[in-house]
Amino acid sequence: MRLGVAGPVGTGKSSLIALLCRALSDRLRMAVITNDIYTDEDARFLKAAGVLEPERIRPVETGACPHTAIRDDVTANLLAVEDMEADFGPLDLVVIESGGDNLTATFSPALVDAQLFVLDVAGGGDVVRKGGPGIARADLLIINKTDLGPHVDVDVERMVREGLAVRERRPVVGLSRNDEASIDELVAWVLGMLETYRGGEHTPVDPGPMAPHHHADGNGEEYVHTHADHATRSDVHDHASASGA
Amino acid sequence: MNTSSLLLALLGDARLPSGGHTQSAGLEPALRAGTTAAEVPAYLHARLHTITRVEAGTAVVARAVAADGGDLETVQAAWAARTLSPALRANGRRLGRGYLRVLQTLWPGPVDDRARRWSRPVVLGLLAHRAGMGPADLARLVGYDDAQTVTAALLKLEPGDPLQTTAWMLDLLPAIDRMAEQVAPLRCPDQIPAGGAPLMERWAQTHDATTERLFSA
Repeated sequence: MRLGVAGPVGTGKSSLIALLCRALSDRLRMAVITNDIYTDEDARFLKAAGVLEPERIRPVETGACPHTAIRDDVTANLLAVEDMEADFGPLDLVVIESGGDNLTATFSPALVDAQLFVLDVAGGGDVVRKGGPGIARADLLIINKTDLGPHVDVDVERMVREGLAVRERRPVVGLSRNDEASIDELVAWVLGMLETYRGGEHTPVDPGPMAPHHHADGNGEEYVHTHADHATRSDVHDHASASGA
Repeated sequence: MNTSSLLLALLGDARLPSGGHTQSAGLEPALRAGTTAAEVPAYLHARLHTITRVEAGTAVVARAVAADGGDLETVQAAWAARTLSPALRANGRRLGRGYLRVLQTLWPGPVDDRARRWSRPVVLGLLAHRAGMGPADLARLVGYDDAQTVTAALLKLEPGDPLQTTAWMLDLLPAIDRMAEQVAPLRCPDQIPAGGAPLMERWAQTHDATTERLFSA
């Protein structure tokens, strides 16, 4: 499964990936592709953390276009993933870290099967209300560095609540590397997603907005919906069959 | 070849998802080595007459060989012999893989097992053959795409007036046309031009060992 980690600069994407590696690398075959603006800064951080063999952490240049490399032209990242799989055999989990960018920078489903969007408390409690494709429709929203809340005058619980609201109850995790329970929650989510993916029940969804459209449901009745109407994990519908249904 | 012009537009478009945005066509290492933004028109000309000419010749010959059902490995070998920098060979092959995805998705067909190691101009030649693109347009594509890669990278590395770089491109177009006309009739690997650009080759090697860089090459 390919898992993307997106979000603005400095929200703690690399640290989060280090957490995942530390928690999962003994039971899952993992690799990480980083997309820092200046190659190898994030890769070096991860290697220094010692949570995964250094050869399994590779940087990819993005030509100063971090959003392009994960969405409009995923070639460089796809080739890196292919090379990783060629070098290490089948992998259970490949994590792709985007270069920090703006709130509209999300991963193409051509590159990843699921994606996390990472905001942090120090970036401002109001950011989550701004919404956008990453915040609203990534498979999981992380509100990171929750322990900093008091220092930056941010009501973390409110931020999480607003996240849930703007995401129409799609999952949100308030995370801190000092909060074991939150780390367990994150790890459980990743493992759950992996299981769903392996069961063939998960369809990667482009978090970008799509106009409301209609389908016939199982009873032949038509209904109008948008892709904000359901959690991406459990409700799969096949657009190819919609016209014939 | 009515659709050749539109194909040229499609394939020459920066939006084509072939991995081109990771490239600076040697501009980043050139600037690091002391080339100034004002010297970019001269850089463009020097590149067009050497490295790009070799690429365009390779692509045109690859197209001819593909059309004749010949072995593209011979064209690949000829390109490699003319591309002295190991870093540029590796980069060219990487770009080739990107174009192979475009080829196999849009113009699918059987490919040699060794295609995964073919460089961009070889794959482009095969693509042009399958897509029905003529040799002169193919050579124009190579020339145009390379030059625009330089100008786009310049805007990231030494931001200036984007219309200035567009003006430089406009000035270069006749030279690209002349180059294209010259290489279009080529048919065999031996005929591929072999002009090298020693400084660019050396800069490419240095760049390959540089960790803090925006572009792969």
